[in-house]
Amino acid sequence: MSMRSPETAEVDVPEQRAARVIDPETRSRLEQAALEHIDALYRTALRMTRNASDAEDLVQEAYLRAFRSLHQFTEGTNLRAWLFRILTNTYINEYRRRQRRPTSSSLDDIEEFYLYDHLVQSPVQPPDERPEDVVVERLTIDNVIQAIESLPEEFRQVVLLADVEGFAYREIAEIVGIPVGTVMSRLFRARRRLQKQLYDSAVESGIIKEVAADG
Amino acid sequence: MANCREAIDRLYQYIDRELSLEELDEVQRHLAMCPPCLDYFRFEENVLTFVGEKCREVSAPADLRDRVKKMCHDHGVTSSAIGTPD
Repeated sequence: MSMRSPETAEVDVPEQRAARVIDPETRSRLEQAALEHIDALYRTALRMTRNASDAEDLVQEAYLRAFRSLHQFTEGTNLRAWLFRILTNTYINEYRRRQRRPTSSSLDDIEEFYLYDHLVQSPVQPPDERPEDVVVERLTIDNVIQAIESLPEEFRQVVLLADVEGFAYREIAEIVGIPVGTVMSRLFRARRRLQKQLYDSAVESGIIKEVAADG
Repeated sequence: MANCREAIDRLYQYIDRELSLEELDEVQRHLAMCPPCLDYFRFEENVLTFVGEKCREVSAPADLRDRVKKMCHDHGVTSSAIGTPD
């Protein structure tokens, strides 16, 4: 007659629990499979911490937790999402605390079509090209990194998971620990903001000249 | 049949392949007859694809990879990764 719903089971990864037996062969296989995701975990950690040294520590700590918790991983389920969830939890525990910042709720005021509208009006060479396509191709990795890293943390996180790592909404919901509806609204606002940042970065680095408001 | 507003409201679900077949069909039918929306959808998708590609150019440093590989074998011994530099 428990009133507690299964949803109260949290997404955190308990580290030291009575170990379910995991045979060495399975462990080794899972470890190898987990290692294949190190590039993805590292680039996500790098953009979240915005610092290579912190990113390395974060990834290493996440793997340590993952390897300790391998007995809790159900084979046949999504190992990649499981690792990202551990990375996210580790990040929250180890880093967010240090750089606590007010969460930004008034950031959703970017107008629709922001980047598109601005770029369509940009003068480009050759003049017969579509400016919106030309400009995007000219953006550098530095423009992209600058734009992403300027996003508030909660926005950055969903953009990285969706647009860089290609996770589905449901997987992102599980990794971050928020409802799917929140994933969608957050992603929507995050991408709008990202586009504004891309535009600002492109202007700043001289890829485009700021267009007069009236075109 | 979806109008422009309805199509654009589903832009990201469309790009993210998160629409039901029925919704997908509605959006596609709109795009087929609305060049401005098609242009816009294509642009949005290009931007996000571009961002993803650029960010995926980063790989884990070799020494990090080595350290994590080592943890595979002696994870029971190591107590903490942070605080054991190089």
